[in-house]
Parts: sequence; C-alpha cells; structure tokens
Amino acid sequence: MVGAFEQALLAAMIFVIMLGMGASLTPRDFYLALRRPYALGIGVVSQYGFMPFIGFLMTIALGLPTPIALGLLIVSCMPGGTTSNIFTYFSKGNLALSVLMTVTSTVFGVILIPIVLLVYASALDLEIPRENIIATLVILLVPVGIGMTMRRLNANAGAVTEFLGSALALFFIAFIAISWVPRNWQFLLTTAPSTYFVAIMLGVFGISIGYIFAKSLKLHPRNARTVALETGIQNAPLAIAIIALTFPGEEQQPIMAVGALYSLFIVMTSTLVTLIFRRANTAAEQKIPDSLL
Amino acid sequence: MADTERPWTAFYGPDMRADIETASYRNIGDLVRSISDTHGKSPAFTACMPNGMNGTLTFAQVDEMSDAFAVYLREVAGLTKGDRVALQMPNCLSFPVAAFGILKAGCVLVNVNPLYTAEEMARQFQDAEPHALVIIDMFADKIPAATKGHPIPNIIVTRVAEFLPTLPRGIIGLVQKYWDKSVKPIEFSHIRFAEALTAGRAHREKDRIEVDAYHQSIEPDDIACLQYTGGTTGTAKGAMLTHKNLIINMEQSLEMIPTICRGEEVALTALPMYHIFAFTVNLLAFYRLGSRNILIPSPRPLTNLKRAFENYKITWMSGVNTLFNGLNNEQWFLDTPPKHLKLSSAGGMALQADVARRFEEITGKPVLQGYGLTETSPVLSFNPIGKIRDGSIGVPVPSTVLRCVDDNGHPVPQGERGEIAAKGPQVMAGYWKKPAETAEVLKDGWFMTGDIGVMDADGYFTIVDRKKDMVVVSGFNVYPNEVEDCLATHPGIFESAVIGVPDPSTGEAVKAFVVRTDKSLTETEIRAYCKEHLTAYKVPKLVEFRDELPKSNVGKILRKDLRSKAMSAQAAE
Repeated sequence: MVGAFEQALLAAMIFVIMLGMGASLTPRDFYLALRRPYALGIGVVSQYGFMPFIGFLMTIALGLPTPIALGLLIVSCMPGGTTSNIFTYFSKGNLALSVLMTVTSTVFGVILIPIVLLVYASALDLEIPRENIIATLVILLVPVGIGMTMRRLNANAGAVTEFLGSALALFFIAFIAISWVPRNWQFLLTTAPSTYFVAIMLGVFGISIGYIFAKSLKLHPRNARTVALETGIQNAPLAIAIIALTFPGEEQQPIMAVGALYSLFIVMTSTLVTLIFRRANTAAEQKIPDSLL
Repeated sequence: MADTERPWTAFYGPDMRADIETASYRNIGDLVRSISDTHGKSPAFTACMPNGMNGTLTFAQVDEMSDAFAVYLREVAGLTKGDRVALQMPNCLSFPVAAFGILKAGCVLVNVNPLYTAEEMARQFQDAEPHALVIIDMFADKIPAATKGHPIPNIIVTRVAEFLPTLPRGIIGLVQKYWDKSVKPIEFSHIRFAEALTAGRAHREKDRIEVDAYHQSIEPDDIACLQYTGGTTGTAKGAMLTHKNLIINMEQSLEMIPTICRGEEVALTALPMYHIFAFTVNLLAFYRLGSRNILIPSPRPLTNLKRAFENYKITWMSGVNTLFNGLNNEQWFLDTPPKHLKLSSAGGMALQADVARRFEEITGKPVLQGYGLTETSPVLSFNPIGKIRDGSIGVPVPSTVLRCVDDNGHPVPQGERGEIAAKGPQVMAGYWKKPAETAEVLKDGWFMTGDIGVMDADGYFTIVDRKKDMVVVSGFNVYPNEVEDCLATHPGIFESAVIGVPDPSTGEAVKAFVVRTDKSLTETEIRAYCKEHLTAYKVPKLVEFRDELPKSNVGKILRKDLRSKAMSAQAAE
C-alpha cells in the first residue's frame, strides 16, 4: 500500500522529527524517568495487558470474520509507535518517558508479542521480523541521541532543530492523513463498517483506558498523558510488516485492513486528544500576575 | 564594633564593611568601562527564550555597543548631558546596551514599564519629558496615543531577539509576526536600534570621538535615573537617583552576600530590569562582579524558565514572593532543582515564611529577604547570610540607619511600632520637579518610608503595616486613587473605594467597593472597563457592590473602615 520511495521518505521525515524531539531533551530527563520506573511499568502493563485485551473483547463482541479479527489482534499486540512520541511532545507530556516506553515495549515485544498472540489467537505461528524491530529502535534512538548532543554542544542549534522538527511533525501528521485517503480510496469503499469501528475504537479505547489507569495510580498528569498516548498509539507499520511476512499474497489484504485503517484514524484521534490535553495543560498552569512577573 | 545607634552591625559578617560612604566609581559610565576592561571576553549577558534560543554579549561587546549608542544619542540625536531618555522593554540584550549607553552619554535614564497602557505612558512622558525613547517593537503600537500632544523627537525601536544569532533571530521574528502576532507594523518615524548603533559607530570613527569624555564630566551627585513611583498620592513621581546612590547601593547589596564571588557567578534575571530591584541588584551588581547574567524576557508561564535552568548553571537568583511560590509549585522545578545555586535574594514584596522555607527545602539554599523602596535605590536592609530571621526584613545594609519614629518624627522606644525612617547614601535626591512632595518625605536628612515597622533588640526590622493606603500587588504599587479615578469615569458607577486585601498569590489584591447607579452593572463589566484603562495588576481582582460607603463627617471615604471590615470578614472565614 505504501511504495518503497514513500517509505524511505517517511523514514527520513521521522528521522528529522525525532532529531528535533531529541533536541528538546537532556540526559537528566531520562535519568528522572528511569529513577522512578513506576510509570514505565504501568506503560508496559497498559501496552501488553490492556491493548490486546481490548482487541480481543472487540472481536468477541462484534463477531468479526477471522481475517479481520486476526488483523485487529495483531495491531493490538504491537508496541508503541514513534508517532506516540510526537503526540506526547505536542501534548506537553513527558517526552523522555514516552521515548523510554516506546523502546521498552519494542524490546520486550520480541518476547511478548508472540506470547500475547498465543494467548488470544491460540498457537499462531507468526514471524516477527527482527530487522523491523531493530530499524524501529534505530530510527528512534539514533536521532534522539544526536539531537540531545546537538543541544548540549550548542543550545541554539538544539532549539532551532527542535523548532524545525516540530514544524515538520505538524506537516507530517497532515501529510499522513491527507495522502492516505486518495491512495486507498477503493479500499475505503469496500471495507465493512465493523472494520471501521474496530480500527477507530482500538485507539480511542486504548488512549482512554491508558489514561484512566495511569490517573487511578496517581501518576502526574504529564505522565498520565504520556501513558495514554503511548498505550493507544501502536506501531502499525510493524503490524503490516509482520502480516506481509507471515501470510501469502491473497490472504494478506483483509488481514491488513485493520492496520491500514488504524494508521489513518489514530492520527486523527491523537490530534484531537492532543488538543484536549493541551487545553487541560494550560488550564492547570499556574496563574502568575503580569506585574513583577 | 557594636555601636549603640546601630546594634545590627554586630550581625555583619567578619569581613563586612560597616560603612561605605564613597562610591568606588565616580559614575556608572566609569564602572562599565572599568569592569568591561577587566572581564572583556567573558559572557556578560545571555538572553534565553522559552524554547532555549539564546544570544550572548561579552563584557567587551556590551562596552563597545553602549559606546556606539552613547555616540548616537549625543552626536546623531543631538542630546546633551542631563537630557532624559526613556527605556521601555522587557529583559533582553538591548536593555544593558541601551541603559549603559544612556548613562555613558551623561543622559538620564527613565525606566518605563512596558506593560503600561498608553494613558499611563503619556502621564510618565509628560512629567519626564524625554528627548528619546528606546522601546520594544511589541509595545510600539501604543506610541501614537502615548505621545499625542507632546511628541518624543527620537524613537528607537528594538526587538526581543536583538543580537541573537541570525537563524534564531529570524525564527523568533517570523513567529512574532505571523504566529502569535505580537509585533504589529510600526507606522511612525523611528530608527531601529541596530541602525542607531551603526550610525553611532560611523560617527565615532569619523570624528574620533572619545566616549569617556562624555562621562568624565559626570559627577557622583548627577542624576542617573528617574525611577517612577506613584508615591502616596497616586500621581506619578520620578525619584531622582544619582550615580552615587546607585553605585553605593550596589556595593551595599553586594556586601550582604559575601559568598558570591567575582567572575564565577551565573545570575538568573527573571525579574524585569525596569524595576529598581533588578536594575540595581541584577544589572549593576552582577555586572560589577563580572558575572554572567541570564536574562528572561518573560517568566510567564513559569515553564519559560525551564530551559534557562537546564542550560545554564545558575548560582544566584533574585525573585519576589510570587516567583518563589510559583517555582515551589512547578513539577519540573521539584524534579530538577538547580544544583549549582548558592543563594537567592528576595525583595519587592513581603516574602512569606512558608514560601521561603519550602524554596529552601527544594534547593537546599537560603532565600535572603531584603527591603527597600524606589526612593532608596532600592536596598535598605537585608537578612545576613546564616542569620536569617523568618518574616524579618533583616538588618540595615552598611552606612544605613533605620529607625522607627512617631508622627512627629521622634524615635519610638525599641520594640514599639513606628514609621520607618531611613538615612543613608542611597536615599534619592528628591522627586523630579516636585519640591513639595519631596519635602513631605525627606525630613532633616531622613527619608520617611511610609511603612510601619518594629525593631527588635538586635536591630532586626519587621514590617507590620503600611502607613500609606497603597496596595502592593506582586511588588507593584497600586494607588487606590488612580483606580478610583478610573472607576469614577464609568457612567454606571456612583462612587467607589479601593483597598488592598491579602491574597495568597500576589501578596495583596485590589478590591473595589462600588456604589452603582446602573443596577445591571456586573463585576465582569467593571473589570473589563478597568482593563481598558489600567495595567492588569491595577485592575480590581474583587468587586463588592454596596449601597453606600463609610465616610467621615467631612465626607471623606474611610478606606480604613472598609479594610478592617474586610480583614475581620477574612479572619472569620
């Protein structure tokens, strides 16, 4: 569904965006997130506990046809995606925590994805492409590392990179949403409403439950926002890669449907959630009188 | 050492001078030149934007640029010694360059609050009659209204990102113009600050001008600043602060913080330098020390300070209660308190004991509270390091005598309340063009502060009440008369009285008691009306409607009755 050139372009864009995200961070941010690994643990539980379960419940409740159900389960078992970092940044969440959560869930994914899928889809023999997992980590960590180094060496270079990265990120979000529709027009017309429903609601439920869970465990609002986005936003491209590797040609299309639709709608859902989170953040900000201050 | 008139000298540190009578420099121009020669290539000022974009000027650059500006003022704009130059901008790199340039040129610096409304600006301009104005572009749209009828001949416009490297400066410029639209097009004749410097440099080269010649003629008792304060009556009055006042006060303040070292400090300047506290203590004193000064254009919201704390090893900061209290409640500040901080200084308004305690818990370093007024350059007293007393404004700084006096000006016995009177080399020369008002506050060499205080046996002072009716909102004086005058112009208001009530975040808040003629008038409408005519901090936070106001038998509204009622109501809650 996405050509090689487009994939390379997207990867390059994500690289530059993550460079900018990295430039907003300091080693201390990571140290703080690691010093209190509570939030990180909550994130892993949300990611591999709640998400697959939400997917499973929806397949039961809606009685989805097997290929759609399979596609949904695979997407719901994925680790957090890189876009979760971008949305966390714009939501004024804890970006260092988000990056760490993405890394953790991706690394743990090598073991946890097959186990969870085994539990919910019983004895599925899926091929987990390690190179994709490694690529995800590289495309995440290398630019973040470079960005942090840039900021350390020169605060202005860091701030300019962060500015350009975030501007590109806005463009990227719009680009994904706008370019997706014409490319998949035919597919959109032939897809069943129940598939739409699960593709949209997986993200909505994931973000909501992640948020409620984190709040109920008294995480700081910044961290709760982070856990919510991290839980709801899955690494959909990884799901698509797994399906492409595991299933023969003609079987692929219906299994991929949820993943493809999800990638579109999660951008919209997350944008909306980000706007809500930003508003909440502004409302919670301290009011400082404008006289001496 | 302990002297009977000044028991507090016993609490001075072992190496502390008890007297500083003569200034170490004849004028601020000499000071800037001498310090710049010593620290040449070290960073003097770094402006840090909320996103971390920044620009730095070294001591040598500040010296050269302020020279160029001095030449511009004298040779291009044609100003002479004693001419007033108004400066209206938030903290940014242009501030020290312009301020030092004005003072080197022998002109008088008039600090103007950039948040002032056009009406408030007009009043200050009418009184000070500035020959030139250096203003930030964000507020230049108020100029036509503020100078109507009394034009200012030279208007120099700067911007918040002035002197930043090209790329960040460009980005900030674009964001201000197209994104938050904080900079509007300027439609009156003006010159850009950078162009003024270029013109000054050209003249200096061509005519071989020695800038030192300008300030060699400045005597210690010549006026350096007109620092405006509303005083008791509410009409703006310019306190004439001399070069000697400011230089000595800078040294008196430094004497109280001996752990601060020459050339090693990184100071955080989040308070605006147009306010006398940051002007003397941050700008002058830390320049004198050869410190790097991190300038924050706006500390609102407080997350604007995050990058500054992350990117620079802040060793000292000044603040007001509102700022310390705000930082105490910021999660990022609690997570990563500044590691290199040595101490903080508080002034401007009463520092609440629990705010100070909490800040000390977080940073592990003390907050020293001081006290002073615009008229005293401003520092009169400070808590000495290691000998802080909660709730006290500390002991008088060197060469300064404070005493509590009764209404006839006679000292009251120790331990009794009285108006604080101050004597010292930092006391102003008087109010600009206001001999009557000057005579009211300067009596036999004593400056009457209008604050009621009490001195303990050791010579520590505590403020109990204010004699004046003025309300202090986050360190800024609000004069009830001015707010009442504004309310009086509203057609739906019959009369009003304004008092200050305690407020947990701003120290005091403005409360208006209003008698309406239009019964449908709401609190929101009144506040909106005031907002059009007054700076935000003067706008009443609380409005209470009354059928009548308490009055004396000659018809004067009794604010004190309203105040005591408000107090007892609050105590009952």
